[in-house]
Amino acid sequence: MNGSLRQSMAWLHTWSGLLLGWLLVAVFVTGTSAYYREEISLWMEPELHQSTASDDTMDLAWQTLGRIAPEARSWDISLPDARNPAVQLRWQPAGEEQPRQGGGRNRGEQAWMDAGSGEVLTPRETRGGHFLYRFHFELYGVPRLWARWLICVATMFMLVAIISGVITHKKIFKDFFTFRPGKGQRSWLDAHNASAVLALPFHFMITYSGLLLFMVMLMPWGIDAAYDGDRRAFFDEAFPRSTEAPGPAGEPADMVAIGPLAAATAARFERPVSRIEVQHPNRENARIRISVEQDVAISGRRRGGSPTQVFQGSSGDLLETIEPREAPTPLMGKVYNVMTNLHLVRFADPLVRLLFFFSGLAGSAMVATGMLLWVSKRTQQLRRQQPGAALKLVNGLNMASITGLLAAIGAYFAANRVLPATLAERSSWEIRVFFLVWLTSLVHGLLRPHRRGWIEQLAVITVLWLALPFLDMVTTDSHLFSAAAWRLGALAGFDLICLLLGALWGYALWRVAKPKPDKRKPARAREPALAEGNA
Amino acid sequence: MTVLLALALGYTGLTCLALGMKRHHQELLGRKPTEARLRLFKTIGWLLLLATTAACLMLWPLGLALSMVPVLVTLVGLPLIFLLPYQPTLARHLAWALPLVAGGLAVAGLG
Repeated sequence: MNGSLRQSMAWLHTWSGLLLGWLLVAVFVTGTSAYYREEISLWMEPELHQSTASDDTMDLAWQTLGRIAPEARSWDISLPDARNPAVQLRWQPAGEEQPRQGGGRNRGEQAWMDAGSGEVLTPRETRGGHFLYRFHFELYGVPRLWARWLICVATMFMLVAIISGVITHKKIFKDFFTFRPGKGQRSWLDAHNASAVLALPFHFMITYSGLLLFMVMLMPWGIDAAYDGDRRAFFDEAFPRSTEAPGPAGEPADMVAIGPLAAATAARFERPVSRIEVQHPNRENARIRISVEQDVAISGRRRGGSPTQVFQGSSGDLLETIEPREAPTPLMGKVYNVMTNLHLVRFADPLVRLLFFFSGLAGSAMVATGMLLWVSKRTQQLRRQQPGAALKLVNGLNMASITGLLAAIGAYFAANRVLPATLAERSSWEIRVFFLVWLTSLVHGLLRPHRRGWIEQLAVITVLWLALPFLDMVTTDSHLFSAAAWRLGALAGFDLICLLLGALWGYALWRVAKPKPDKRKPARAREPALAEGNA
Repeated sequence: MTVLLALALGYTGLTCLALGMKRHHQELLGRKPTEARLRLFKTIGWLLLLATTAACLMLWPLGLALSMVPVLVTLVGLPLIFLLPYQPTLARHLAWALPLVAGGLAVAGLG
């Protein structure tokens, strides 16, 4: 009885893992990159790198908005922080608010400003880290709803694969620390087990919370039934917050200087000001809302919860002080918040982000080792016969989904540096490069023999990733040997991680290419490389 | 620096748990263990993992700290698994050296 349950679970695990594994690798890898999507976006907009904040930054933003958007209905200034050196200016142009395509609030106009000089900066057109982030839950070029459903189903099967994998695993505690190198299929199985069992809490959390995030997006029927189709009412009940509608604009009037108000707010909350919003700027009923950054509790939610002071724009009188407090959240809202906060790493702590990033790499390695195990097992069963078409197909798809995806991401970054800044539809071209490289690697993987194919693709990604920091030196002023890269940390970190990962691919290449006495199981030597990447 | 200490304690804890298993005990220390020794190592291992949890609680607020414990254990456990067959001696020595270094850095950082 027990044996047959284990067998059917093994069958389920093998096939659900293989069929969805190709998609799941992509979801895991791009999802892992999304932990650093702001840093990636920053790296991909070198025009913003030289901006440095000073004491005058707020006054400069005030002047710049007064110059480029004096008639706007509202202003919204996001000040530089540890993750972004430039000032982001947003404003709603005068006149009726145009509803955004696809619903939701119109976010209005947007511009970047140099925090030191007040100049408006025009970064090269790019989708940055946002493209990879979006790809991890809605792919690209596929109707959004379909893609989300597809990934939601894949996530559900990931949960199925996790549970069936645990049931299939014969000696989960006895083999907890076991890795037997140099034994082909056995070694792949050990590597797969080790990365899966140790990181099981992380895998379960990331998968389950992923499903929770999809729940509201894709299955709103429960909410619709309980709240008579009024989804807003559900969110208001689960996450109460106060809202106020702005009245009509008043007569034109000068506003007071922003510096003293911001200093007062910063002193009141003992934190630096992060955001300034203005309703009806340069009118007699102007309202200035000054907020500071607040650490989010793990069961809390940032939205609407930041400590804020509201001032009368023309006189500078303090109207209201909104204390740093968590909006009272009911229990189910808290559970939802804990899960989604963990998934999205909504914390300020860069250390936590780094640790999650490495966990994401471990998760990617877990899915990848599982797929390589499938091929290794069947290659071993061949006993020197020629592999059949099915095995070749699976191996080619494995190559495309592992080395091919890494080549595509590397090429996406390289294209950002190489494509001319004035190219029409520039951001689309970056994405086209990404997919063309990926497609090429698929064709290559299907045509080339097993071991040669892996060696060639590994060689390509090694060269590509190691070249990125050097490409940076040729094309920008914020490379590894510049002060700007180290002042911002994120830029130096990006280049260092490229070097680290490039070295890792190089090590994998060396292990695969090394001549071996037994050539039937060539790809087996990669798992120590993957493991060291997780360290 | 405290996060390094938490990581080091986690590593040593896991190594002790491995030493509490017959097969790994023999690999790492080269002799057959007695039942009492295995039990001792297991107990020390679990105590060190408790210490890791305590370090996390000092670093982060409760909810986040409890979520970070498995993350830290994973990140030190994976290298340990691959050190055991390739570099057993290094794995063993790291188990006492890492907490010392991390502890020293923590004291220096505090002082």
